Amino acid sequence: MKILIIIMLSISFMFLGCNRESEQKGEGEKIRVALVLKTLNSPFFISLKQGAEQVAQSTGVEMIVQAPEREIDVEKQMQIIENLIQTRVNAICVSPSGSRELLPAIGKANQADIPVLIIDTRIDETAAREQGIETVTFIGSDNYQGGKLAGEYTGNLSDNDLNVVVLEGIPGHETGDNRLQGFTDAVKEYPHIKIIASQPGNWERDQGYNVMQNLLQAHPDINVVFACNDLMALGAMEAIMASDKTDQIRIIGFDAIEEARKEIQLGNLEASIAQHPEEMGRLAVEYAIQAVQGKSVPNYIPVKIELITR
Amino acid sequence: MISRSILHFGRQFGTFIGLVFLCVILWILTPYFLTVSNLLNILEQSSINAIIAVGMTFVIITAGIDLSVGSILAFAGVVLASTLEAGVPLPLALAAGLGLGSLCGLVNGALISFGKLPPFIVTLGMMSIARGGALLFTSGRPISGFAESFRWLATGKLFFIPMPFIIMILIYLVAHILLTRTKFGRYTYAIGGNEEATRLSGVNVRFHKTMVYVLSGLTSAFAAILLTARLNSAQPIAGIMYELDAIAATVIGGTSLMGGEGTLGGTLIGALIMGVLRNGLNILGISSFLQQIIIGSVIILAVLFDIVIKRQSK
Repeated sequence: MKILIIIMLSISFMFLGCNRESEQKGEGEKIRVALVLKTLNSPFFISLKQGAEQVAQSTGVEMIVQAPEREIDVEKQMQIIENLIQTRVNAICVSPSGSRELLPAIGKANQADIPVLIIDTRIDETAAREQGIETVTFIGSDNYQGGKLAGEYTGNLSDNDLNVVVLEGIPGHETGDNRLQGFTDAVKEYPHIKIIASQPGNWERDQGYNVMQNLLQAHPDINVVFACNDLMALGAMEAIMASDKTDQIRIIGFDAIEEARKEIQLGNLEASIAQHPEEMGRLAVEYAIQAVQGKSVPNYIPVKIELITR
Repeated sequence: MISRSILHFGRQFGTFIGLVFLCVILWILTPYFLTVSNLLNILEQSSINAIIAVGMTFVIITAGIDLSVGSILAFAGVVLASTLEAGVPLPLALAAGLGLGSLCGLVNGALISFGKLPPFIVTLGMMSIARGGALLFTSGRPISGFAESFRWLATGKLFFIPMPFIIMILIYLVAHILLTRTKFGRYTYAIGGNEEATRLSGVNVRFHKTMVYVLSGLTSAFAAILLTARLNSAQPIAGIMYELDAIAATVIGGTSLMGGEGTLGGTLIGALIMGVLRNGLNILGISSFLQQIIIGSVIILAVLFDIVIKRQSK
């Protein structure tokens, strides 16, 4: 009990001592832009960050890059945004870990009059409108469209029947769901394509390997693998190589990370969908500056998406 | 008894000094730390972990461990959300979520006490079962969009104090009384100190141990209510690795993993240390990778500091 009283007392003391707010930076200081990503341990987001940092350097903007320890931890991402609001950054660019879950955090930024730019993954715009939550723009490429490109490519691979397996991302994850949806919608148009299995590999390389290994046991007659990201595609590639089926199975990935591009050159991967994360990062900072300066920004800034092969 | 409470006081005091020290450092480093809005922000952010850590403290005092709290949180959250979505009145929906959390805890407790299985194994299993249950229950999709009356539990303020903090303090008060003023609390310590001796002195150890895990499931479900209201969404993948944060808060707060020792006041300070640290590192704009190293180091240092204080007070 004593301890609780001590805590209460000291918390109230802290409130009394709260007068350092006046020590803010004066006018004419550098613009401070926060970039909040889903994670910083995937090549995609590292490229995005590099693109953003280049622009920040050349324009003299102070850049703060933060991400939760785990990609799916929306609550931590929300905490990061709340904490950045406390430091009164001028703009926040965020790649949402949850399309609805992050809305309350964006709402808090709205209240603090900090413009929010969404990058890479869309927020649920209907829900945002209902709750009166505003964002400046969405900068990104259409994952559904990317999935569709992969599906159409698969459909045109051969006229013979093709058995396809899909490696999904984390179930319930917007990005992966859209890629998957695009892919399945596209292959529906091709009667000779059959999806014989679709299993989550949770975006991870090692899980891509393990799931592929299991699928190879169950289905000896796989022709095509579509993995919702390149890490899983690379994992699957190793598993397929280990079982000596490289010639029989073609693998299509997503994101076109550097390692995947190399494997495509070597002929170990068939294709990948290229997004341009560096471009996304560059655009994010450029438009964040415009938003801070009060210039108008279009509400959708598309970043090109394309299928690359050897 | 007197010397024991002095010892407890000494230990908590050590952790408390750690918290104050951390705050002073952050206050020196950044002007954004010590502001009313930021402190309220920290209290709000720490509440969820602090609530999970209540049940964890009871469990660890009995020399057990509960790895399933994060998964139970997710499961209770989606059950609560789906009942709300189905139009069930708020109190009933809350009861459904809390009931499910307690039920998972009951299964844990029964298997540990009556099945004589190690807590680590049982709760490791439940960690996977409850996560799978949450995913199956929702087909992997988050459930979002709730009435303001429910969201108020996380977004509301009483005067200027955030609701999550008020709820957290109420839970701590009730749990503190339970742990220090009731038979249940005394047995909790006794089981952790020497389970066999406790059993031989006629205490129904199996029943009490089971109830400790029920309590842990229940506090996870309370945390689920706050998390769901805060994010306006219940995700089946919520709460992954939350068990580690809760264990860290408990251990930083001076609860011994060997059982028999620990206080809720300490755990609360432990949770606040974690919250202040995360907040401070964000505000300072420190790289996310470095943050993990710093957080890990602080956990170890806090426990080290605590042990040193304990030795000196002996």
